[in-house]
Order: sequence, then C-alpha cells, then structure tokens
Amino acid sequence: MPRQLHINVNILNAGVFGGSWRFPGTDATAAYTIEHYTSIARKAERAKLDAVFLADGPALDPSVRHRPGNSLEPTTVLARIAAQTEHIGLIGTLSSSYNDPVELARRLGDLDYVSGGRFGWNVVTTAGPIAARNFGRPGEPEHALRYRRAAVFTEQVVAAWAQRTDLVSPQVRPVVVQAGGSSAGRRLASRVGEVIFSADQDLGHARAFRAEIRAGAARFGRRPEEIVVLPGLSTVVGATEAEARARRELLDEILPDAYARGRLAGQLGISLDGLRDDDPIPAELLVDPDEAGGSQSFYRVVKAIIDAERPTLGQLLKKLSGGGGHRIVTGTPEQIADDIERWFHAGAADGFNVMPDVLPSGFDDFADHVIPELQRRGLFRTEYDGTTLRGHLGLGLPPVPSGRHLEVVPS
Amino acid sequence: MSIPVLLTISVGPRAVALRDAVTVAEAAEAAGVAAIRIADGTAAGRALDPTVVAAYLAGVHGGVGYVAELPTTHNAPYNAARRVLSLDRATGGRAGVALLAGDGDEVSEATAPDPGAAGPARRWAEYARVLTRLWESFPRTALVGDQDGGVVVDDTLIAPIDHEGVFYRVAGPLDGPSSVQGRPVVVADLDALDAAAVAESADVVVVDAAAAPGADAALAEALQRAGRVRRDVALLGRVAVAPGDPPGAAPLLAWAAEHRLDGLELVPGGGTGPALAVLRNLVPQLVDAGAPRPATLRAALGLRESVAVAS
Repeated sequence: MPRQLHINVNILNAGVFGGSWRFPGTDATAAYTIEHYTSIARKAERAKLDAVFLADGPALDPSVRHRPGNSLEPTTVLARIAAQTEHIGLIGTLSSSYNDPVELARRLGDLDYVSGGRFGWNVVTTAGPIAARNFGRPGEPEHALRYRRAAVFTEQVVAAWAQRTDLVSPQVRPVVVQAGGSSAGRRLASRVGEVIFSADQDLGHARAFRAEIRAGAARFGRRPEEIVVLPGLSTVVGATEAEARARRELLDEILPDAYARGRLAGQLGISLDGLRDDDPIPAELLVDPDEAGGSQSFYRVVKAIIDAERPTLGQLLKKLSGGGGHRIVTGTPEQIADDIERWFHAGAADGFNVMPDVLPSGFDDFADHVIPELQRRGLFRTEYDGTTLRGHLGLGLPPVPSGRHLEVVPS
Repeated sequence: MSIPVLLTISVGPRAVALRDAVTVAEAAEAAGVAAIRIADGTAAGRALDPTVVAAYLAGVHGGVGYVAELPTTHNAPYNAARRVLSLDRATGGRAGVALLAGDGDEVSEATAPDPGAAGPARRWAEYARVLTRLWESFPRTALVGDQDGGVVVDDTLIAPIDHEGVFYRVAGPLDGPSSVQGRPVVVADLDALDAAAVAESADVVVVDAAAAPGADAALAEALQRAGRVRRDVALLGRVAVAPGDPPGAAPLLAWAAEHRLDGLELVPGGGTGPALAVLRNLVPQLVDAGAPRPATLRAALGLRESVAVAS
C-alpha cells in the first residue's frame, strides 16, 4: 500500500484563531466544558484520524481576557475520551520541567493501559515565568538547562515504562512526541521523538527540517522511517474559494486587537507599545533565535516572516491572525487537499497536526469535506486497521534510549 | 433511614480489574452510593493511578461521585489542583480527592522555602490549604463570554494566591474556573493525621473503628478553633468488609449513631465479587436508592450543595 497521511486534530480550546470564540454561531465559553473535547474526539474517530492532540501548560495564560485558554488537565480529559471512544489515539502535552518523573511515568503508563494502548506523550519543557512561579521558581530555567533536563527526564520515563511487567498496554509503551523547533529541541527530537510536531511556513524549509530530523535520528542509531513529522496546519475551509476567503476575513475582523498585539509582543520579547498598525516592525531589536528565551520555535517562524517580508505591524498581525505562527491554508476542500498532497509528496511532511480555525465548526468542515477528499485520492485511511496509536502511526517499538548518548551528542 | 456511603476499591489486575470496575461503578450508581473512592494501591501491590481511573469511570457512569486518592509524595500541588479540579468540572461537581499524607515531590523540593521543614501532617495541612485556595482563584462567575465586547473572561475576578509556606511556594492562579460545587471535596483520613491538621481544609474526615470513639467531639473542637462548625464536615466511619462475612446493616447504623458518624466508608476486600455483593446486599439497607440524586458530591455527603468561591 502506498504511504498514507497521518492526521491529528489539535483541540486548541476554541480554535487556533484569536477571534474563534466570537465567530457567529459559536458558544463563546464551550472550551471550558468537557463535552467540547469529548465530542470533537468522537467526531475525529468517525473521520478515522490518527489522534487528538491537547496542548498544555501549567499556568493561566495572561491573554485569557480576550480569548479562551486551555483549562482542563490533559490526562484527565484523555482518560474520559478513552472511555467514550475505541480507536482514536490520545496525545497529551505534559511538562518535563514541572513534573516529578516517578509520578508522571506511572500516570502516563497507566493512561496508556486504561486506553488500550492509545496514548502518546508530547514532551515539552514549558517556557515562561508564569508557569515557573506556580512551582516555586522566580523565572523559567535557562533554555539549555530546560532541554538538558528534558533529555534525562524523558529517558527516565521511557525506562520506567520499559521496566513494567504488568499493566502493559497493547502498544507496550506510549508514543513519545516532541515539538521543540530550537537547536536543542531538534536534537531531543532526533534522539527520542517518534512523532515530531513542527511549525513551518515554507515547504522548502519544512523539507529540510524533516531531512535533518531523520538524519539526526540515523546518527543516534534509529531508523528514519520510524519518525513521523507533522507540521501544524491551520485550516479555514469554505464550500467555495470566496466563502473561505470571507470566513478568513471575518476571523481577522473579530480578532481582539489587544490580544493579537499582546501575544506578538510576548513571542518577540519586545514591547509594541506606541507602535501603530502602519509602522514597520523594529527588526533591529530582534535577537538571533538561538539567543531568544521563551519558545524559540515560534520566535523563529515569526522572525523569518519579518526578515523576508518586512511587514508593518498591521500586516504581520493579519498574517498571523492570532494563530501564533503555524501555516494557515484557506480554501475549498479540494484546494486544501491539494496543498496537503503537495507537501506530503514533496517530503515536507508525513501528515499534519491540524488546527482548525474555529472549534467545533471548523473541524466539522474539515472532517466532513477535506478528509473524504483525501480518502478519494487514496491518501488517507477509510478504516482503522489497528487499535493502538503506534498501529495508526505505523510505528514499531524503538529500543529504549540509553543515557550513554547524553554526554556525547553527535553533531 | 439513609446515610451517605463511600465505596472504596482499588483498580488493577490484583484488585478490581478495569473492565470489572465499570460494572462496580454501574452498580454503585444504581445503589445511590455518594462516591466511589479509588484507592492508590492495595496490600497486594500497586493499582492503576486513581485520577486516571476516576476520569475514565466517570466518562462511562457519571451518576455517582468519584474520590481519587492522591499522595503529596511525587505530586506538586499546582499539578494536583489542576487535575482534581478538571475531574470535578468534567463530572459536573461530583468529584473529590482523598489527600494522602506523605513526603514531597522532586519539583517542589528543589525550591522549598524552608528546606528543613518536616512532618507529613504539617505538610498535609499546607498542601490542602494550597489546593483549596487555588480552587478558588478563578471563580466560575469570571466566565462571561461577551462576544460583542470581546471579553471572554473577566480577569479582574481572578487573583493569584501567592502562597509562601514552609514546604511550598505557589503563585497561582489556576487556569480553569471553579466547579458547580465550588471546589472539589477534600477527604482526610484520621489515622495519619489528627483533627487539628485537617480542621482548616477537610470536607470529609474518615475514622476507623479504633478512632471513632471521641472523634466527633475532637473534630468539633478543632473545627471551632479553625473558625468552622461541625456541620461543615462529614465524619465517616471506615468499615473493612471481609469477603463472605458482611456486617449487618443494623449494627453498622447503631455504631454510626453511637459515635455521631455522619456516614460510612465501606472497604470490601477480595476484589470484584465482594464489592458487588456489598453493593447488592448491604448498601440497599443503608441508602435509599429511590431518593432523588443529589446535584453535587457535597450534597450527596450531606454538606451544603456548593461552597462559596470568593470573587
């Protein structure tokens, strides 16, 4: 059978666009209810998706006044989804900086068992001082230190899973997912990541990223085909091209301005106070990505746009639309399927982590119209042929990563 | 008469298997049990993580409450608060935590305000205070969803807790709103803890047969010192039920009345069969299954339906 796409839906509360919760017909606070997540997961299972994905950080997002934040702890949500579904994979984000590895290994291994082998752990190091202060720290640990801990922590957790003799799930161990786009994040991805979430605007760059991760994995003695690279993809679906464009324009209009500016300022690490929409972004204030604190992945993406396009503040805000840096495709189901197919066949992606513009309506459109189009083209499964997340992803069981790689990292 | 009953099980291959736990939950729901307490392990070894099991079972049988045991050991309080409140919100206000006294966690230990602080009871009291304050830091009234005005959450109603104790330093606020019952129920076991340690934060206090005499008076006095009253807390007597040798309902009710116990925690030994036997034979004599289902776990325990969350 020819290679097929892997598709997850990122249930990013109300949807990836900053104005999603204000979209006509949308329940503004639905993202604070559990049914929002379980019903989207059931829909995703009917569409035969690989998995649902939950982003998370142990902190209240300061932008919560102007857009909903994540507010439900992922293992709790995924255990409930596990009870109400049979096949769909369950990927949750849990911090390596702010969990005790003994407890996390046990809880995640048990969630994998309870779900019948459907769990995947997205390892994040958790940027920012707000989360740090919930764990007794005045600020975030330095970037390199966060990633050193993440490497040791992840290997400790995987080793604990490998040592289990009972409560072992049908996929034996949860799938390890990694999303960091920084140099340290890419190294961690090459060493232990089985699914890699990336953020890329450009096909050529995405292809190079995927090649780098696969080559890096080979240097660690891993098989490159056992790594699934899924760029984030924000979707705006319309029955016609004009309808899709109108939907996108409306989303830009209802984006709370204070939210968009605040989020961009946070991502760039500079103040945008006093800057008007038609002023250029002060690019000279932006440091090299490897020097940036916080989340380097999104800094890298946004800085690349600024360097290439020299946009005004207003132009940049519109381009990002509060979506934070993931690529946005706007069009008919056929056009979006064309885009997905092009990236897939160019070797830029093994599939996508789909981030619908508005939840649930944007995902309903994706599941009802884009997925069938991909299925017609033979690019996506029409039935599940396994019951585990590893099975859906076509992943075997990798060797347990060994700590001896920790000190000597091939360059 | 009808009194609140908790049923305690461990879930895992050496206790009640996961599939059987769904059957037990269904029977507990039908019998009108206030909550199923998911124990963190058994004498025979470890069991499945109680928060995971509770969230899973509540996704199948949501008409009964769930109390997950959670030790202070290996759990940073901010993470524990989020997990338990998420469960409480997902169950529509039918969840609680049995906070087990223990040690610290790797993340919090590294920055403990007083590295020399010690003592499980002292830690428990501080931990429970952090939980309850975090659960009140984001009142549900702050969720306004004003689409025209562009305000989804009125963040002026949300406040950090800025806790600085001897074991923990936690800024808050929590990321999610309080639940239908205000905040999750906190269950304290009086074997590892004394009444003074639990008086500030516990909603349910459990005593075994040895500790039952005098517990009511000691609890009342401790609560008064903490500025609370006796009816703010449900005092439950724990009863270990040996397989094949269930106690009669009448002696249990007489025991509860003698020591002014508000309810019972039944702990059947021997796995699924004995647990189902307790639900089918003993519980119907203690609980009126035909009574209307209380709106929240607090109400099911005879407490006020919800606690006020300051805004």
